[in-house]
Amino acid sequence: MNLIDIRNLSIELQTPTKSILAVDHVNLTMKEGEVRGLVGESGSGKSLLAQAIIGVLDEKWVVHVDRFHWRGQDLMRLSADERKAIISKDVAMIFQEPMACLDPTATIGEQLEEAVDTEQLTGFFWQKRQQRKLAAMNLLHKVGIKQHQACVKSFPHQLTDALCQRVMIAMALARRPILLIADEPTAAMESTNQGQIFRLLASLNQLKNMSILLISHDLENVTHWTNTITVMYSGQFVEAGTTEQIFNQPYHPYTRALVDSSPKASRMIPNKSRLMTLPGSIPILQHLPIGCRLGPRCPRAQQKCVHAPKVTNFHDHQVSCHFPLKDSYS
Amino acid sequence: MSDVLLKVINLSKSYQDKNYWFNRKSIIALEPLSFNIMAHKTLAIVGETGSGKSTLAKLLVGAELPTTGHIRLNGQTLAPGNFKQRCQHVRMIFQDSGTTLNPSLTIEQLLDEPLQLNTKLDETERHQLIRETLQKVGLLADHMSFYPHMFSGGQKQRISLARAIILQPQVIILDEALASLDPSLRSQMINLLLDLQQQMGLAFILISHNLGIVRHFSDEMMVLCKGKVLEYGKTTDILQKPKHKYTKKLIMSQRFQLLNH
Repeated sequence: MNLIDIRNLSIELQTPTKSILAVDHVNLTMKEGEVRGLVGESGSGKSLLAQAIIGVLDEKWVVHVDRFHWRGQDLMRLSADERKAIISKDVAMIFQEPMACLDPTATIGEQLEEAVDTEQLTGFFWQKRQQRKLAAMNLLHKVGIKQHQACVKSFPHQLTDALCQRVMIAMALARRPILLIADEPTAAMESTNQGQIFRLLASLNQLKNMSILLISHDLENVTHWTNTITVMYSGQFVEAGTTEQIFNQPYHPYTRALVDSSPKASRMIPNKSRLMTLPGSIPILQHLPIGCRLGPRCPRAQQKCVHAPKVTNFHDHQVSCHFPLKDSYS
Repeated sequence: MSDVLLKVINLSKSYQDKNYWFNRKSIIALEPLSFNIMAHKTLAIVGETGSGKSTLAKLLVGAELPTTGHIRLNGQTLAPGNFKQRCQHVRMIFQDSGTTLNPSLTIEQLLDEPLQLNTKLDETERHQLIRETLQKVGLLADHMSFYPHMFSGGQKQRISLARAIILQPQVIILDEALASLDPSLRSQMINLLLDLQQQMGLAFILISHNLGIVRHFSDEMMVLCKGKVLEYGKTTDILQKPKHKYTKKLIMSQRFQLLNH
């Protein structure tokens, strides 16, 4: 059974003059216990998509979706409050820049205790206070912080970036979520610390069977940790498939360019040679091209590309392109 | 090709703690180090935060005064306070290019400033030079009358590159200049930098923590940790046979990116 199944999700930004389609008919499916990477450059709408899933977008964003199933249950048939109750119980999110997300005026302990779910506590208020402390301590142990005494008493600025991110993950775990959305959890972090956070997420996925939606702007960073990957460009769905399919045999010219453009992926290339790259830059939201938004930059673009392509499926490898690169691999 | 462009001898930096009159402590940010760079070559500096790599960049560009040691460019010593001489030849590009451009000036005014301060060209010559430099970094001459906020992140990075190369420098320091760019723009930028290195014979000092870029881009590399030089040598040698434990750890943490499954 699919954990989450989203079809044709669009997000429109309402401005006084016109409405802008920031996310254009994106599909996303996740199975239980899966780690899915959501990859896209800046302005691809990946964070918007995550925010639309947990429902924190404000009124100026209008979300349309054809199908939004959560563990087989159709969420679009429920009222907004019921939907919110389900999502807030089962889905948790962590953000980039953990330091900025934590309250600088309260200690880690206070913030963690606040996050502990009241429903899990029993007894009188003095018993509850003890249980709350214990629960906060257990959460810290779960994310691999051994010196909980020191950590509980300290303020966010006294901890390192990686420790703060661990605390954020601990808070996200407080309600025992089934799906964790990690929005660039390791941006602006040292590579050794990045490894720590990714390893922690992977172990949570293995031990607690928690599904993770890992959002990143760099394809390279996530390939080691994900089972499946969805690629987005400028608000449009590009390609989805298993990590091996995306990385070794991408069907979409954009994914091909992403894989080829980074110097570390293709080890064969000689030192200081020119890298393969797409011309031009990412279109801004006010001036989006019609049809396939990659069109002006795409090396394979033809006249047909002024119409948005439909998603085609090759053995669970979905690609949205008129001229996929499928035939170039024999 | 064989002559040394930039020669750094025993350069070090330590800060004095001014709070205590007696028992004054000094913090060593950078222990004495020496290296040479030739024209057309790139030296990469790798290390974690607090390893002194930004201090080294500041010392080279002249923003900080070194405690010991001196820097020689083409055999000529760069005096610590002589900015006129230094900013002609050693230029720097920062990580966050958007914030280093003055938002109230147009691109022409931005690029005109270093020319007015450092050269004796008249107005038409300066205008011509700005036009040529913009074309060199892949922008149009029409962009001269634009303000910085009208550009995207990748274009801003190109403008700061234009500002760096407009004085025909010999050394450019890239302080994490590629880290904040999107992958497809980053590869464009790498191509552009490599082309400029070919054309103008620039020497780059690349400060980065992305070993993939370091491997592709640099000829020599230096691993810094807590102000000490752990390894210094050819990039391929160090990445293939790291000697120090710290370098091994650094490579291991990015190994999954380097090995390509």
